[in-house]
Amino acid sequence: MDLTSALQRLASYRAKQSRASADIVKDGELVLRKAGLTKLGDEEWAFLEQLALAALDTGKLDVADDITDGYAIQACLERLAAKFPESPRVDVLQGIRMEATESSETVIRYYNTLLEADESNIAAWKRKISVLKSSGDIKTAVQELSTLLDTFYTDVEGWLELGSIYSSCNQYTSALQCLSHAMILAPQNAFYILEAAETAYSAADIPLALKFYLRVVEMLDEPPTSGTTPSRPEGPTLRAWYGVKLCARDLLTSTPTASQSESQTTPPSEKHLRLLDELSTERILAAYSPSSSKAGEGPPLGRETVVKWLENTSSTS
Amino acid sequence: MILVGVLRHYVMLLLGSSPKKQSRAAIREQRALVRAQVLRHTSAFSPIPPLFYQALSDHLQAAFATSAYLQPKSTSADASSGPPNPLTDPSAMDGMMDGMKKQMVMMVPQMVMMGWINFFFQGFVLIKLPFPLTLGFKSMLQRGIETQDMDVRWVSSLSWYFLNFFGLNGLYRVILGADNEAANSSRDMMATPFAGAQSQPAMGQMQDFGKLFKAERDNLEFAEGQYIWSGKDVEIRVLQKWSKL
Repeated sequence: MDLTSALQRLASYRAKQSRASADIVKDGELVLRKAGLTKLGDEEWAFLEQLALAALDTGKLDVADDITDGYAIQACLERLAAKFPESPRVDVLQGIRMEATESSETVIRYYNTLLEADESNIAAWKRKISVLKSSGDIKTAVQELSTLLDTFYTDVEGWLELGSIYSSCNQYTSALQCLSHAMILAPQNAFYILEAAETAYSAADIPLALKFYLRVVEMLDEPPTSGTTPSRPEGPTLRAWYGVKLCARDLLTSTPTASQSESQTTPPSEKHLRLLDELSTERILAAYSPSSSKAGEGPPLGRETVVKWLENTSSTS
Repeated sequence: MILVGVLRHYVMLLLGSSPKKQSRAAIREQRALVRAQVLRHTSAFSPIPPLFYQALSDHLQAAFATSAYLQPKSTSADASSGPPNPLTDPSAMDGMMDGMKKQMVMMVPQMVMMGWINFFFQGFVLIKLPFPLTLGFKSMLQRGIETQDMDVRWVSSLSWYFLNFFGLNGLYRVILGADNEAANSSRDMMATPFAGAQSQPAMGQMQDFGKLFKAERDNLEFAEGQYIWSGKDVEIRVLQKWSKL
């Protein structure tokens, strides 16, 4: 743990925008203790913003208080405010600081004054929405978020947030619409499609869910080319294969009502469904097969449960 | 000369006004086209199912038809009189003033230095080039000295000043970083005060969004014909990929 490596780590966190708040606070305290702010030069300001956000995230309102001459959050913010007066970024940082201790009404009033001064301040607007949401005022939050997205259409984050708010209120159709915006804005991102698949599944639109799951599988999983060992599905790929399996099962065993789709998606033919069922079973088992590279190890954890589940779902058909 | 360049850089930074803030309605108007474009560009292999696509497409077309995205003020203004005069709009004026100010900062030290050199070093020969040149370079290298038969290798003070002036860009870049105002000086020589404003998005506001929206509506209708859902026949593709079919 020396100074240069800590600084490097902090810089890479900044570049990647990763939310490793605990690590950032730890590294930041080290930097403060060893170097102080004066030696950082122009990097100081980015560092202070990063440290203030991370400390707020971890709830350490008095970070580094006892280490140096009282560089508490408030001191961080005051330094930043003195350097960059009227900067919207510092304003929003102040707001986040207020969120930690003040009541939500006070904070919303503060953000409202920011928005009155500059009605296109998207950062303040988003913070206001998140305060509204966390204070339980879902209705206003949805209204504000819709207005925001109407203005800033390309904000994928916003669409995902609106989608998850709708999902939490069981409004799956609206959630799917939000996700479809996110999907056209970032068609290459399989995670959004996976989320849409799961939302469609929750909305009991099984044929649509199956199509989305298959899209994820198509994008993420590659069959082995000749000569290589079959790959082992992981993470979102495995999740999607589970989804395929569930949907295929549901459609094969279903009464006609289950294959009805709100989005008028036609389910695959029964022959294809059986093949899909077979294929997904294969892939799920492949994920739990003992790895050839680490010989001598037993089958991976949970394999028995999975096999039992697969057998059960097959026997009910 | 270097010091003047550095000074000019910082004066430019002081003068450069921050981009003007836009109201929500203006941003909404500008970005409305993006919605349709995003939808159109994905339509040939769209990630969203037909019903959703149709709904979105219809909604956008209706919105463009009723000009729901236009700013309230510009719909009330006369729509038929063509694009308004850029000089009457105060927000466009700002961009133009910015260009003028920069030009002034460019020109004033330029003229002072030129006059200074002309006054003190008129007729001086400063250096001798280590290589011979043809007569064509005479006017370039011996400005300010009207002699017929001097060798072209001798360079006059004024010409040396010009050569340095254009050659210092690399040095400025080292001192002030890549994106500095001083290094742009030679480029600014060519530019008119209004050229900067032309390329700025401030002029983009002059576009007639009503007409753009109408054109976009046609494009959307066209894109509907191209539309194919990426989920169509996906099961067959997946099964073929895993050689089950």
